Amino acid sequence: MESVVLGTGALALLVYALAFASPYGLRVLTVAGVYALATFGFQIVFGLGGALSLAQGAFFGVGAYVTGILGSRYGLGFEATFPLSMLVPLLLALPVGLAVLRLESHYFALATLGIAQVLHLLAVNLPDLTGGSNGLAGVPPAVLFGWTVPRGLPMAGLVWGLVALGGLIGWRLARGRLGRSLTMLRDDALAAATLGLDVGRLRLAAFGISALFAGAAGALAVHTQRVVSPEVLEFPVMVSILTIAIVGGRGRMAGAVLGAVLLLHLPEWFRFLERGYLVVYGVALLATVVLAPDGLTGLLDRIAAHRIAVRLFGRKPRPLAAAKEPPLPPAHPSGLSVEGLRKSFGGVRAVDGVSLDLRPGIITGLIGPNGSGKSTVINLLSGLERPEAGRVLLGGQEVTGARADRLARAGLARSFQAAALPDEAGVLEAVAAARLAVDPDAATAEAHARWALDRLGVGGLAGRSCDGLPAALRRRVELARALVRRPAVLLLDEPAAGLTDGEKAELAAVLRDLAGEGMAVLLVEHDMGFLLPLAGRVLCLDRGRVIYDGPADGVRRNSAVAEAYLGPAGSA
Amino acid sequence: MRRALPLLIGLLAASSILSPALSPAARADDTLSFPVLVPLTGFLSLEGTSQRNGAVLALGQTPAGVAIASEVVDTGTSPEAAVTALERAGGRGTVGAVAASMLGTQMLAMLPLAQELKLPLVTVSGTASITEQGNPWVFRFFPGDAVTKAAHARYVVEELGKRHPAVIYQTTAYGQSGKTHLDAAFKALGVTPVFEEGVDPAAKDLLPVLTKALAAKPDVLVLHLHSGPTALLLRQAASSGVALPIVAGSAMHQPSTAALLEPAELKGVCAETAASPISGGTPEVKAFTDAYRAAFDKEPDAFALGQYDGMTMVLEAVKAGARSPDAIRKALSAETFKGLAMTYKSDGKGNMAHSAVIVCYDGTSRVPVLAKRYDDPALAAK
Repeated sequence: MESVVLGTGALALLVYALAFASPYGLRVLTVAGVYALATFGFQIVFGLGGALSLAQGAFFGVGAYVTGILGSRYGLGFEATFPLSMLVPLLLALPVGLAVLRLESHYFALATLGIAQVLHLLAVNLPDLTGGSNGLAGVPPAVLFGWTVPRGLPMAGLVWGLVALGGLIGWRLARGRLGRSLTMLRDDALAAATLGLDVGRLRLAAFGISALFAGAAGALAVHTQRVVSPEVLEFPVMVSILTIAIVGGRGRMAGAVLGAVLLLHLPEWFRFLERGYLVVYGVALLATVVLAPDGLTGLLDRIAAHRIAVRLFGRKPRPLAAAKEPPLPPAHPSGLSVEGLRKSFGGVRAVDGVSLDLRPGIITGLIGPNGSGKSTVINLLSGLERPEAGRVLLGGQEVTGARADRLARAGLARSFQAAALPDEAGVLEAVAAARLAVDPDAATAEAHARWALDRLGVGGLAGRSCDGLPAALRRRVELARALVRRPAVLLLDEPAAGLTDGEKAELAAVLRDLAGEGMAVLLVEHDMGFLLPLAGRVLCLDRGRVIYDGPADGVRRNSAVAEAYLGPAGSA
Repeated sequence: MRRALPLLIGLLAASSILSPALSPAARADDTLSFPVLVPLTGFLSLEGTSQRNGAVLALGQTPAGVAIASEVVDTGTSPEAAVTALERAGGRGTVGAVAASMLGTQMLAMLPLAQELKLPLVTVSGTASITEQGNPWVFRFFPGDAVTKAAHARYVVEELGKRHPAVIYQTTAYGQSGKTHLDAAFKALGVTPVFEEGVDPAAKDLLPVLTKALAAKPDVLVLHLHSGPTALLLRQAASSGVALPIVAGSAMHQPSTAALLEPAELKGVCAETAASPISGGTPEVKAFTDAYRAAFDKEPDAFALGQYDGMTMVLEAVKAGARSPDAIRKALSAETFKGLAMTYKSDGKGNMAHSAVIVCYDGTSRVPVLAKRYDDPALAAK
């Protein structure tokens, strides 16, 4: 069915171009294709990766200048200028990305905007190379292996052929490991790192890919305009790409095509209004954003999900992969050892000389009053914080201060106090995200995710969305996400919070099973009725220090623990 | 994706249905069309609106027995929008000539398509390179930088007797082209500027560049800026008590620029331009000024007058029997036309205007007086 619809769409495009479109219509369609191509890249870095790169317009401009300079000054053909127009922005993006990709949200946006400004200044102030503000006129049309591609239908065909190819590549990337990893990163970068995803590398890859698409689009833009000038590096190009992505639907390649076609045609329909077309354009944009906050593709999804539409056209649920047990990583007989861990925030010493051993097959409890440093210990052990002092060994290997993704890949998994499941994702996708760093493809990761969900007795949730899941199920899904990685060491931060007694009993049984398989478990918990029967050993923290380390049944009798929770005996 | 495609089809269908439906009524086969493709939005909107008004006023003089049609399209400031507008215009009936954008980068982008479509472009763009592309379809009815900047520099050196100018120009095509020609003109006069710096048209404070310029100890400030930046710099110079004479570029002569300043802030300021219709002149210029005010409730400037003259010359060619773009191109290339601002004659490259004037403000009104006229045709070659 899908192939029929796809074929029909392509045919309709072809029929429009061949039978209905005037040379002017073909030009607008061609320019729409150019912007769709640039937006594919932006959908990857911003739509999927969540990084608001304002350098996409600049990479577009760099691609345009490469083609303009090489085509007009050196007479190189399309087969040489086109790949070079992609390569040069990529080579620029990689060092720039290394420098700015670690910046957070708005700082990153500002830094990338700065790149665009620098490139614009260079274009204006290097007239011998770029033609200065006038730019370079007389850029030849695209010449492909000796054939000059005429404007009109052949040029539109070339551009849309590349749009189809770029869209297919982008679509496959978005649905594959890279796209899903980026989505995970966008939704929760910390959680993504603890699932083994290398945040920096992923962002750099997305930034580089976005530059490739932008460079390709810039090259085609120059061949349609036949001139390159600093306007290609100016902010309006970036705003157009951003608007197309938002209006079309963030992260969707189809959204890039829809948005580009709509936004490039919309002002043309109202040109007769002279400058008044801008008012109509603005109102139409506003209406689109209000009526379709998830973009046109999101609106179409909502329409398709409507009961009447489902009744009329039917709706097949996405087939789920068959469950498959993920391979067990090499065993870590020594578990996790920590000596003298220390961490301060300002003048507060949150963790002070904590030492502990997490042995395979043992559940270790970590308790303490609020603010005693329990979550900080978990953050230090999982790489979300760097210790100031101390030593951490995982499976006998020194991992002190290692990044979260490295620790995750070394066999450590954790859960969060507030279950960090992305609301927009499906349950299966959310769990499969934990395997993206190790499995060869997304389908394998989903098969492994099904196994984990089945193992925890929530296999029926595989086709559901994370949004709206009850607390107990959310915790179970998050546990599945940790379990699916087959970790040697599992750190759980208050997994029983908000659960009923029955649900706690089920969770306790699961944890016993996991420990029974050789997993070392650290359980941070306030609920002593849940924790003490489970834990073989308990540590109690107070003001960052270990005040008790011993068998679980000794905790209740320990005066230091009682004092930490209740205050000194005799105090008011 | 599969749900998106039907919408795509719908959009494209709507595009083909809506475009003709929303356009002016279908024209008779013998109607000659003169599209006006100018920047009405963006940083050049003031100048572009003058250009539009001049073209529209001229196209009101329909020659007897000839059906004329015109449509105004905003080209914004991007080359891409200008090319698309030209392609749109070229596909609608018989186009006689196009009143084309005064923005140099837009003209450079439109030139190859104009040559392909065989459409004469009539413009008031001052960017020198548009007539240096060997394209026979471009006609400039405003003196190019080679003319105006020579007049600019000559007035500074020969009339004011200044030999240490500080040059502040815009980092746009207009600014860089003007700066290049100013450099050449000053060099020909044996003068080297003591300071030269480009400023971005979006700059909101020009005091830093003004301070740097004054630190170079100039005896005159030479500006080549767009309308808004010209007004901003003059205001900041006046409020800083700068007493040096200032000779600005053509943007200063525009009434819309002067309206941004108090008359006292204009004292001692001069500007180069092609003409200043509000400064008076022949009865024909006065009639044009009155008609312009009546039609648009605005003051005309040299861009309006230049575009008016250009489109009037096109219509004269039509009156004389030219009914095709090629016939109009030949007439524009070969004929001499006595317009309101000056007499126009192509130099073989499409440069039709070879005169420039210097106008100055006396500090009591926003209407400048003519200070010097440079009619030497040899200016164009300098």
